[in-house]
Parts: sequence; structure tokens; C-alpha cells
Amino acid sequence: MDAFAASLWLLRLLFLGLLYLFLFAVVRVLVRDLRAAAREPATELGRLHVLASPAGEPPAGAVFGLDAVTTIGRDVNNAIVVEDQFASADHAVLTFRGRTWYLEDLASTNGTYINGSRIDGLAAIGFGDEIQIGQVRVPLERARR
Amino acid sequence: MTATPARTEPQLPALLAGIRPRPRWRELVLLGIATLTLTVGGVSLGATLRARDAAGDGGGIPDAAFASYGASLLAIYVVALLLAHAVLVLSGRRSDQVLLPSVGLLGGISLLLMERLPQDLAGQFGGLAQTQLVWLIIALAVLTIVAVVVRSDAWLRLYKYTWAAAGIALLLLTFVFGRDVGGARLTLDLGPVSGQPSELLKVILVVFLAGYLSENRPLLVEQSTALGPIRLPPVPYLAPMAAMWAIALGIVVVQRDLGAALLFFAVFLLLLYITTARASFVAIGIVLFVLGSALMYRLFAHVQQRVDIWIDPFKDASGAGYQVVQALYAFARGGILGTGLGNGLPTVGGRLPIPEIHTDFPFAALGEELGLIGILAILGLYLVVIVRGLRIAASAADDFRALLAAGLSLVVGVQAFIIAAGNLKLIPLTGITLPFISYGGSSLLANALVVGMLLALSDRGVEAPPPPRRGRRLRALFDRGAA
Repeated sequence: MDAFAASLWLLRLLFLGLLYLFLFAVVRVLVRDLRAAAREPATELGRLHVLASPAGEPPAGAVFGLDAVTTIGRDVNNAIVVEDQFASADHAVLTFRGRTWYLEDLASTNGTYINGSRIDGLAAIGFGDEIQIGQVRVPLERARR
Repeated sequence: MTATPARTEPQLPALLAGIRPRPRWRELVLLGIATLTLTVGGVSLGATLRARDAAGDGGGIPDAAFASYGASLLAIYVVALLLAHAVLVLSGRRSDQVLLPSVGLLGGISLLLMERLPQDLAGQFGGLAQTQLVWLIIALAVLTIVAVVVRSDAWLRLYKYTWAAAGIALLLLTFVFGRDVGGARLTLDLGPVSGQPSELLKVILVVFLAGYLSENRPLLVEQSTALGPIRLPPVPYLAPMAAMWAIALGIVVVQRDLGAALLFFAVFLLLLYITTARASFVAIGIVLFVLGSALMYRLFAHVQQRVDIWIDPFKDASGAGYQVVQALYAFARGGILGTGLGNGLPTVGGRLPIPEIHTDFPFAALGEELGLIGILAILGLYLVVIVRGLRIAASAADDFRALLAAGLSLVVGVQAFIIAAGNLKLIPLTGITLPFISYGGSSLLANALVVGMLLALSDRGVEAPPPPRRGRRLRALFDRGAA
């Protein structure tokens, strides 16, 4: 095998090797990224992001991480206290069952709304849907992982 | 009015004032490795072709033309990649840093492949490689513009039915005004521009499915219709599944495009599974698919022919099975390490062994020249696109974005695997393109659009989605279901 053929052969192998070097570098980035994501606490199942709250409680812009059961109302014993003149003491409860979130209106005086329409008792709710209690608007968002 | 307020500090022009660059070191490093890889590939290709030229064994390839422009095409492409990187840095967005280099490497491999094929195969702007370069640069521009400009997804989310209508209109337009190429009616001529609408259609399909499924997720998960041991969601929500199935079959019948039908249905099932996490849906979908396939096989000659070729291509190896047989020979010649770039494809009687090698069989050509090792690496690059898309989906803020990201990356990945499997005779051959590698403007532009949107979606600083709206009718229907 002459020198030209040998160097061409090496060049071919180098090309294949570099393809794998690229893949290796990409996989390293991906793994590092996944590790960083795993270090973040990911115990929450979803989150509520307060869009508008005229009375200031909860403050607009606040983000609540959600457990499987989250009670919402004006009473201080609720997980999320809503200081709004149209909110009842025990207004609604947000639960995660199986694979789906449900919002249940606890016979509140002024009702609970999903995307602007009033719910009747229990209703399924998806990520991106907006809950409204009184004048407080909180969309349900996916947990950041 | 005696004195104007003195301004001492220099003012940046208004256009530059808002620019806050954010370095993207990972992307730059990966682009560096990709550039090095492509350079080595280009040198290897050039040396092989020149050696062959010197030996007086031209093999139908215009080597003299290659020697003058081969390196400059690659250089132009690399500069375009770096420009795209620079624009992303200047935009200051926190978007993904892996997708551009991965896709860029695939595009570069495509350029290397097009340089070594006979230049008169196709081409609007000069030869095959030059045309592909022009399209690659336009695709990079589209990718970058979409990645930088798209800051809200409302225009996709709110008008999903409009998009769906546009998609169906596109399908009908192709059916009525389309041009038959190779037995399939896929090409639409609009004045001087011609294109394959099914490439754009796949993007529209994902947008619509993401909108529809994210809106109706709670209802789809609910099970109220019992069918023996299988429990199904309320009947009205099974309708889209049936409609999707009908559309896929319609594409097979009307357009004779088996590849697009398979791709659309596969992506639909995958998205349905991602939405509901229910294997039963996938099972029903597969049963529907098998029934539909059997029906099509009975009724239509073109489907029958494809399947017969797949079962035994050697029965008519010089006729109907010619392409598939030659592709298998190409893979066999390649072996594990391949014959080397530029060394494959001896011509048979002065013509290419595999017709349509630049659009339908680039995977076979790469299999011959880069071997098993090389095509595994290329499949790995597609896998990276899928993994990255699913990662973007997992960290998305709401269902629509999650489904959109997952769907966009899967539509590219699944397409790559369908055509790769077709070339390898794992499934019947379907005439769809290998994303980022096949020759052709429509395919490159549509896939660039997909990657651009993935980049835009991966930026976590994207503005909050607007409050979603749910139709009164749907709402009422659901309330009845819950009561």
C-alpha cells in the first residue's frame, strides 16, 4: 500500500472518528443538562402562577408549587389564601388524581371559573387553563423539570 | 427656549440599543467540531476523486469541475453556519445550543454527498451541489429568523382550526393542480416556484394536533365508553382519531403518497400517547392501521406493488425491484467502515445504479461510503434531535408547548427513520425525504422551520401564554359528561 492510499485510508477513519467525537460532545452536553435538571427539587406536581390579584393576597406574579391536594379560599387555614371580597372561606380545592388535575368548587357563594365559564361541582382542568376566583386569576402550569 | 438640554453621553443607534448578546460557548465548540469533521470529509472526498481522475477512471463524474469549486462550497456553508450562530448570540435568547450544530452537521454531510453525485441530476441554480448549497443557506436563514423572532406561540395556539383548514386546502390544491411525478401527485407548481406541500403539511399537522390535544386532554383521559374490556373516552372525542385515520388513507388513495400517510399517522399516535399516557389508544391505532393497510393492499395496485417489491425485490431485480436491490448491494459494498467518501457508486452502463439517489436513497449512498459505522452516527444525530425536542417538551410551561415541541422533533425523527428503514428494506419503500440530507428545497425549508420553532420554544424566557379559551359548546358537553 503506497503512502497516498494509506493516508487516504487514515483520513476516512478520521472522518468517522470525528463524527463520533461530535456525538460524544453532544451526549456530554445532554447528560450534563439532565444532571442539572435532576438536582433541582422536582417534588411539585404543577404550579399556580398568579396573573392578577387586585387585593394583593396572593400577590400578583407569585408562583405556588402544588401538592396532590391544594385548598384555596379566604380562610387562613387554606394552602393558598385568597383575600378577595368575592371569595368564600373554603372556596375550591385542586386535586391531582391519576393523570389529571381536577378543580372542585366547594359550594362557594360566587363560584369558581375555568377559562371564564363557571364550573358546576367537579371539573377536570388541564395545564394552561385559567382558574378564576373572585377577581384573582391563576393559570395552572406544568412543573418545571 | 434659550438653551437645549445638553447631551454628553453618546447615544447608540436605536437599532443597536436593544441588543444584549449572550454567549453560546457549547454551541460554538460543537460547531467547531462539526466544521473540523466536514473539512476532513471534504479533503478525503477531494483526494479520492482526484486520485480516481488521475487513474483515468472518471466514472461519469465531472471531476475537473469538482476540483475547482468543492472546497469553496463547503467554506461558504460553514460561514453561513457561523453567521447563524452569531445572530443567535446577538439575539440574547436562552435557546437550545445542541440543535443548530447537529442539524448543521447533517446539512454539511448532505453537501458532501451532493458534491460527489453527478451534477446534472437536478438543479435550478447551477449544478446539484450548488443548488443544494443555496437551499441550505436559505434554510439556515429561515431557522435563524424563526428562532430569533418567534417570541409568542399565540399565533399558533389561537388559530389552530385556521391552520388545519389551511392544511386541508393545501392538500386539495395539490390534488387538483398538482403535477404527477413518478406516479405520485406530490408536486405543486406556483408560478416559477414548485414545491412539495406534504413537507409543509407535516408542520401544520403538528401545530393542529398540539392545539387540539392540549385543549381536550382532560376529556381524552376520561373513560366513559366501555367496549368490552377496553374503556374509551367519550365517543365525540374518538372522532378526531377516526378523522385522522381517514385523512391518512385519503393521502394514500388520492396522492399515492404512502410515506406521508405513514408519517402523519405515526406522529398522531405518538402525540396521542404523550397526551394521554394510554397504551390502549396506541393499540387501537395500530389495529386501525393494520386494517387500513390490508384494505389498501386489496384495493390499490400501487400499494400492492410496493409491498410485493418489499417482500421479494429479487423477483424482478432489473425492473420494479431495481432500486431496492441496488440499495441493498450498496449497503453490502459499504460493509462496516465503508468505501470512503467519493469511492462508492460505480456506474452501471454509464448511469447511476440507483435512480433518485439524491432524494430517496441518500441513506443508501451514505451507507456505501461511510459504512455501518457512519450511518449509525447519522442515525445518532437524528436521535439527538428527538431527545432534545422531548427535553424541551418536558420543561415547557404548558401542554400546548410541550406537545408542540415533542411533535415537531418527532415528525423529523420519525421521517428519518421511516425512509432509512425503507432504504434498508425493513419496511416497504416510501418516497419521503431524509431530513436535512436529501436534495430538495421544500424538505430543507420545512425541516428548518421545525428546528427554528424548537429553538424558539426552548427559550424559557418566552412570554406567558394568553388565557386560553374554550368553546361554549365543548364546555357544555364536558359538564354533561362530568355530571
